[in-house]
Amino acid sequence: MASMLVHDAGPQTTVQDLGRRGSLRVGIPPSGPMDREAFLLANRLVGNADDAAGLECTLIGPCIEFADERWVAVTGADMPVTLNGAAMPGWAAIEVEAGDVLKLGAARSGVRGYIAISGGIDTPPALGSRSTYLRGRLGGFEGRVLRKADCLPLGPASGGAPAEVHEEMIPNYTVEPTVRVVLGPQDDRFTKRGIAVLFEAPYEMTQQSDRMGARLRGARIEHTRGHDIISDGVPLGGIQVVGDGQPIVLLADRQSTGGYTKIGAVCSFDIGRVCQVKPGQRLRFRQVSVAGAHEFLRAYRKEVDEAITFPSP
Amino acid sequence: VGNYAEPRFLPCGDLALSVELGDEINRDVNARVLALEYLIQRKGLHGVSETVPSYRSLLVYYDPATVGWDELTRSLRALWREARPEVLPPARTVEIPCCYGGELGFELEAAAKTLGLAAEEVAWLHASADYYVYFVGFTPGLPYMTGMPERLTIPRLDQPRTKTPPGSVSIGGIQCCIYSVESPGGFWVLGRTPLLLYDPGAAEPSLLRPGDHVRFRMIDRAEFDKIAAAVAEGGYAPRIERV
Repeated sequence: MASMLVHDAGPQTTVQDLGRRGSLRVGIPPSGPMDREAFLLANRLVGNADDAAGLECTLIGPCIEFADERWVAVTGADMPVTLNGAAMPGWAAIEVEAGDVLKLGAARSGVRGYIAISGGIDTPPALGSRSTYLRGRLGGFEGRVLRKADCLPLGPASGGAPAEVHEEMIPNYTVEPTVRVVLGPQDDRFTKRGIAVLFEAPYEMTQQSDRMGARLRGARIEHTRGHDIISDGVPLGGIQVVGDGQPIVLLADRQSTGGYTKIGAVCSFDIGRVCQVKPGQRLRFRQVSVAGAHEFLRAYRKEVDEAITFPSP
Repeated sequence: VGNYAEPRFLPCGDLALSVELGDEINRDVNARVLALEYLIQRKGLHGVSETVPSYRSLLVYYDPATVGWDELTRSLRALWREARPEVLPPARTVEIPCCYGGELGFELEAAAKTLGLAAEEVAWLHASADYYVYFVGFTPGLPYMTGMPERLTIPRLDQPRTKTPPGSVSIGGIQCCIYSVESPGGFWVLGRTPLLLYDPGAAEPSLLRPGDHVRFRMIDRAEFDKIAAAVAEGGYAPRIERV
């Protein structure tokens, strides 16, 4: 069976696909890529289906040797990419041969990098998905982060072609992003001032952030009465505010339910951008209505669908 | 009692909404939440991708490209009218062997002291009740249960533990839970079950489902070790009955 060999894994490299569905009701999160857009574009660049499994790496990328001909693409965080020591572009399809070594360095900007390989990674699915859920030791490669000398099975490659993401669609992770938020489900548990503060003040990403949640630090968000609720479901992007008034944005590996107030939720199309904010960098929140969010979502999906230039036939 | 006259639909970002059916933790409100979820699954509601029940609300994930807010809330409201506990299929009763006290139930003595009861009495009272699983969540496979005898109502620990071993059978307030993975905890650990509440290698990783009933069976340390060994080899089938 075709495979690729991990020479060096980097601090937290995992196998991810678009995530699992239907298991939140027994407490198992969807997992999947933290930056769905970057992941999706990597797959499309190499001609994979959107749900093919690839790699997510964190802050520093891995070093990988290929055993056969493939197309690969690196997207997401701005990590220097080399093939056998020669610099290669990100956000573009690259052709590799047997024995070629792909190496990703430390992120100059952004946090999560993605590597798609034509044919996809063919680890056994768990509950219908190859995504790694680290805390639950589920899916991916033995339910864990990759290590040196791991050998990852690959699916059959089906051709490929040069392709690249339009330059204007490549995000600039050095700037302070503004991400869109729908208020609810417990916005009525916050004071007017608390809500105003959320949309006025910048919030800083802290070191304590992980695949479960982005812990932010900034101006205190004021409750009307207490921060405890009768436990309910935690949506993607849910902004939980506990007693210290600091927000936590809940992400791909989030707890399925929780007993703390959620003032709002970051929209799906801005989650990826939150996940690329480095500790010490700041971000801002902007309020949108549900109807407004659905308009933005439609426009965003169209933009992503048109982001790649394929060679003319 | 505790049910709203009309469901509340609360936005949860652009891809989900919460359907809140009541304002308190009680079996009837929760049964309606589970009935609503069951009807959504059975009818395959257009555009709904996933549901997450909790005490008194159902989180509904949807794709707005397929179904908009107005259409979805209209359909959910129509299903809610039919969502009575009677529509649910018969509940399961799962028997959970539990070894009380000793090193596995390391807070049984302290809990007994706080409650002014003998340790044996606490264990016996705890094992004699019928528990109801409101929902499974927070960590994979963790059941939120009530049904405890009133005499076991106990304040949570002042100082939460940083680590609780998986399988720890614990009580706090009027609730009982079983830790499914190693995690922090503020409940009193009365005993431990050799069963895996969460088994990532299993086709169905969570032993319990929302709406299940649970009965504990008191076992001694020798039986605990025997069952634990059988579980490790994949050779133990938990006793599950349909009520």
